[in-house]
Amino acid sequence: MTLTAQEFAFIAGLVRRDAAIVLEAGKEYLVEARLLPLARQSGLPTVSEFVNRAQQRPEPEIHAKIVDALTTNETSFFRDGEPFKQLVDTVLPDLLVRRSGARTIKVWSAASSSGQEPYTLAMVLHDSLPPGWTFDIIGTDISAEMLTRAEAGLYTQLEVNRGLPAPLLVKHFERNGAHWKVASTLRKNVSFRRLNLAAPFPALGPFDIVFIRNVLIYFDVQTKRTVLQRVAGTLRPDGWLFLGSAETTIGIDDRYERVVAGRTSAYKLRAAGRAAPAVSAVGKG
Amino acid sequence: MSNPTEEDLKVIAEQVWSSYLDLDGASPLVPYPPEKPETDVTASVSVTGAWRGHVLVSCSEPAAKNVAAALLGIDYDDVAEEDVADALGELANIIGGNVKSLLPEPCALSLPHVHVDGSNGRYPSVTEVCHLEGSWMAESVTVTVLESTADLAGAPA
Amino acid sequence: MVIDDSRAMRLILKRIVAQLGFDVVEAGNGQEAMDYLKTNVLEGDGEIPGLALVDWNMPEMNGLEFVTAVRAEPRLRGMTLMMVTTESEQSQIVRALASGAHEYVIKPFTPDAIIDKLALLGLVPNGVAA
Repeated sequence: MTLTAQEFAFIAGLVRRDAAIVLEAGKEYLVEARLLPLARQSGLPTVSEFVNRAQQRPEPEIHAKIVDALTTNETSFFRDGEPFKQLVDTVLPDLLVRRSGARTIKVWSAASSSGQEPYTLAMVLHDSLPPGWTFDIIGTDISAEMLTRAEAGLYTQLEVNRGLPAPLLVKHFERNGAHWKVASTLRKNVSFRRLNLAAPFPALGPFDIVFIRNVLIYFDVQTKRTVLQRVAGTLRPDGWLFLGSAETTIGIDDRYERVVAGRTSAYKLRAAGRAAPAVSAVGKG
Repeated sequence: MSNPTEEDLKVIAEQVWSSYLDLDGASPLVPYPPEKPETDVTASVSVTGAWRGHVLVSCSEPAAKNVAAALLGIDYDDVAEEDVADALGELANIIGGNVKSLLPEPCALSLPHVHVDGSNGRYPSVTEVCHLEGSWMAESVTVTVLESTADLAGAPA
Repeated sequence: MVIDDSRAMRLILKRIVAQLGFDVVEAGNGQEAMDYLKTNVLEGDGEIPGLALVDWNMPEMNGLEFVTAVRAEPRLRGMTLMMVTTESEQSQIVRALASGAHEYVIKPFTPDAIIDKLALLGLVPNGVAA
């Protein structure tokens, strides 16, 4: 039943090559759980047989599905709460001054999965920006299937139950059969495109705000560094970066400095021309 | 707004099962009927208002006891008749409420009625809108949506 | 406080909130819950329950009537009210919120959904749910 070391190594190699994600030994259970639906779809009773077939008859489409299944992360609306609170309390007051000319805010939600994060950002900006301001959010993901789901903006009852305040559910969603659909007023400001964070980026940005949460943890240090360097190239000099609560730029890329924002941290690019100090100027938050 | 379909029932049932009856994904409701659907136990809720009818959840006795054991967190052998009535009634309430949200508004949902005697209750002047036949742990489970055909004046009391 | 006419549902909810450290009082409908509050809180010296999880469709007094009754009693202002119900039309959610419910969870739900909502209400810290 369980995967052999060789089968696991094949899957780990595939995911590392295509998505730069490291699957350490001990994650066999994850591979089993995530690939079982794919095995069933292919009419095979076990994950082991499915993996064997994928090895013997390499089909790009099956490989893409495997990478998809193993790189899709659990997500929910307003995940972790605090970053969205700080968007309102810390980031927007700053940007309302700095962007008072253009009156528009451009946001990137990286690894946006089924779209809960970009739509959460859209709800927050829609409800917090003063009249006359506009916003533009782009969600990206490596998985074509997730992008299709996110673009549709359709969520099950179980998904809208997770983390979404009821007043926002009734304000920003409409019933659509057994599902809920994000209202067109929000969807018109949110777009999606495919992007592999581990490969060179296409032309992107510049952004005022970048959310790239709970994805760096899956990369090795060298890939983390490369991704953060590329992200810096998409961020406006005074833009804001949010990482997952277990992630940091410290010790990886010192072009960023940490800014304490409420009970969480955000990151900003150090001012151009100012040498990076050996020790971060911002205290531990 | 169109009538609910078997596909809608599948979506609803899948969510109910993954929330309460199939937590680890190992024993889903398989949407293929067993050879012969069994209706030892039937729980029903009625919908009244802009649309009138009933939502029925029928199953074999072992399936009903499995539902009660799962929801109440007790052993299969310890399941009493009142446990079946409570658990199946709540299942019908949850599925019925979700079906109601697909119907024209406004509608009201009744409290559940549970028949454990093999009769599934009497529903005069109805027509079937859709149904989902499935098996769960090799036992029969069926969800049926019935619409009342009698006009309001001729509706049974 | 867990108010639902199904014993099975009360148990499911009770397990979730008990795990978060709440002491749980159960009631089988709105009237039973009101009677408890009257005897133990309004006329007794019991503590006001900080949270009530309230079903909608129940005999005697339904959840919407219960929420309305609690909101009409200034001495029960400290209660956070969360509907947990199969009623899932947009209009019903709007009605419940307008009547004074603070949050709304649609059945079926996973334990994480309840925990997420309690975090939104500030009743448990963020990040308890998986």
